[in-house]
Parts: sequence; C-alpha cells; structure tokens
Amino acid sequence: MAADNGPKLIVEAMKEAGVNFVASLPDVNLSKLLAAVDEERELTHVTLCREEEGIGICTGAYIGGRTPAIIMQNAGFLNSCNALTTTALNFNIPMLLMIYYAGDIGDEGFSTLGSVTEPVLRGLGLRYYVLRKNDEIGATVKGAATLAVDSRRPVAVLLAKDVLGMRR
Amino acid sequence: MKRFDCLKIAAEEIGDALVISTVGGAAAEWNSIRPGDGNLRCRTLGLVSSIAMGLALALPNRSVVGLDGDGALLMNACGLPTLAWQNPPNLTLLVFDNGIYEASGLRRTATSAGADLMAMAKAAGVKNASWATSLDDFRRLLQEAKSRRALSMIGVKSEAGVDYFKTWQQLPSFEYNEVENLYRFMRHIEKLEGRRMVPLPGPKH
Repeated sequence: MAADNGPKLIVEAMKEAGVNFVASLPDVNLSKLLAAVDEERELTHVTLCREEEGIGICTGAYIGGRTPAIIMQNAGFLNSCNALTTTALNFNIPMLLMIYYAGDIGDEGFSTLGSVTEPVLRGLGLRYYVLRKNDEIGATVKGAATLAVDSRRPVAVLLAKDVLGMRR
Repeated sequence: MKRFDCLKIAAEEIGDALVISTVGGAAAEWNSIRPGDGNLRCRTLGLVSSIAMGLALALPNRSVVGLDGDGALLMNACGLPTLAWQNPPNLTLLVFDNGIYEASGLRRTATSAGADLMAMAKAAGVKNASWATSLDDFRRLLQEAKSRRALSMIGVKSEAGVDYFKTWQQLPSFEYNEVENLYRFMRHIEKLEGRRMVPLPGPKH
C-alpha cells in the first residue's frame, strides 16, 4: 500500500518552492491534496467554476507579485488550453500546473482523457513531469517551479493517484 | 452612449488605478485616452475579469479596473460566481455591451437577444452591478464604486455598428507586443509598490 502522506509532501514542496497562491477545481482524487492546501492559512486558495478562468486568475496574481499554482484534473487542463496559449504562453507567465492524471496506467473510466493528456501538453510545448512516487515529490515539484520561473512559462506536474494518497 | 465618451469619463475618475483591458476596440480607445504603463491589454477573449481579479487579490491596497465587453463576459460567464465568491473590494469591472462581437466580424451576441449581463452578475452574487443610463449616471456610478470600497460592476449599453468599428480602427496602434506590455506593466507596479515583482534572473554564470 502506498504511503498516504503524498498530499502533505506536495503542499510542503509547493510552499518551499515559494507558491503562495492556489486556484483549484475539485476532483475526488484531489480531495486530500486540496484539504492539505486548506490547512495552510497563508496560502490564498481560490475555488474555480471552470479551469480556464484559473489561468487568468493565476496570471493576475503573478503580475501582482504572487507565485501561483493551479490544481485541477486533466479534463480541466483541456478546458484551459486557450488561456494557456493566448495568455500564459503569450505573455511569458510562469505557473505550476498541478494536474491529476485521470486515465493513467491502472485507472478505469478515463482512458480517452488519459490518452490525450501528454500529447496535448507536448502540442502546447509545455514541459511536464509525471509524478508516481512519494520519494520524488520534493525534487519534482520544486524543480518544476524553478523551471517555470526560469523558462517564464507554465510547467506541468502530472499527479498519479499514488502520490495523491488515492491508490486503492 | 459611446464607449469612447465613457472611457474619457473613466480616465477622469479612476486616478492611477491599474487597468486590464479586453480584446477589441475598448483597448485601443483606452490606449488613446490614457496611454501608459498602467495598462495591460488582455489577449484572451473573456479573461479580463479573471486577470483583473487575480491582480486585485494579489494587491489588495491598489485599485484595479477591468474593461470588459459583452462577448468576453459571455464567454467567461462562469467567472461571475467566482468573482462574487472572492469579492475583491478593490476591483471595478466596466462592461461595454454593444450587442455584437465588434472585433470579430460584427455579428450579434446573445445580449442582443435579451441576455442581461448585470442581472447575470447579480444572480451570481455580485451585489453592486448596475446599468448606467446616461454619461452622467456612468460618472455617478464610478464615483459610487470608488467610495463604497466593494466589488462593483458597471454596465453600459454602448453604440455599435460599422461606422463605430471604423472609428476605433483608425486609432493609434499599440507600441508594444504582449511581453513588453507585461514587463512595463509589472515595472510600473514595482514602482508604485516599492518592491520587486518580476522574478530575479538566474545565476550569474
């Protein structure tokens, strides 16, 4: 059984990377991660109605000096493609895209979504890293945040159920 | 009412507020009325209200004004409940509703068939959302928005049509691309805030 402290480790890594502004849209598999975000009083946490607005909100927060991250499912990543292209990429906005990887190996019910996720990330020219092991959380999340700032672009971390404390 | 006349009044009333403008004519008109580094021109239809909200949340002591349009607000209508939920008191959204996709071929938007953007905003939970009935009323609503220190939306039913389209098309071009616009805007905010906004560059090697 996978250790279920992944969500806590992810939030700690985000904080260490300087993240202080989070926009999110829930998925049941993000429940523990979003609860861990809510435990951090100093993190601004905006719950979205649709992920594309979140790219705009994170952009505004970045312009105002914050370090933003958006937490969403990969369906939400697909919802946000235009904003990622014509705002985040167009304006050189760094942000962490923390994406629950529905339809990843071993999952049931989301294989179509899972199959298009990485090709769409590549199509947008976004760097991404798949996170499946708790002992890789710190280095991956902090490394992705550094890369986002250095490349002045969004960088994605695909979160498998294993690191979300949700693998049965 | 002409959007241009409203924007001239806005320029008189909003002081040094940071302005995020929507795609299309409003940006060109605003740029000709109040040029400068305190303006950011959005390039994604619909995202002005979201970018302005994020900025308002990040800088709670600074006034932020969004210049939005009907096509844009309709596209990001699901942003209205988010806006109402966060309720940033330092944000005013001006919505110019001409009933057409002015910059995208002049075809009708749903507001021309009766969709009421201020009613939608109110239903989403935005308490202060009103239509301006005249230029004087627009000025009064702007002054009210400034003094109440609460999230405010002001709608204007603005003039539309080919002639109007031609008028704003003749306005001066933008001098900067998106990236330069962003950096100038952020440097402008850095000066106002007296602190660094743009992340430091990497190591000196």
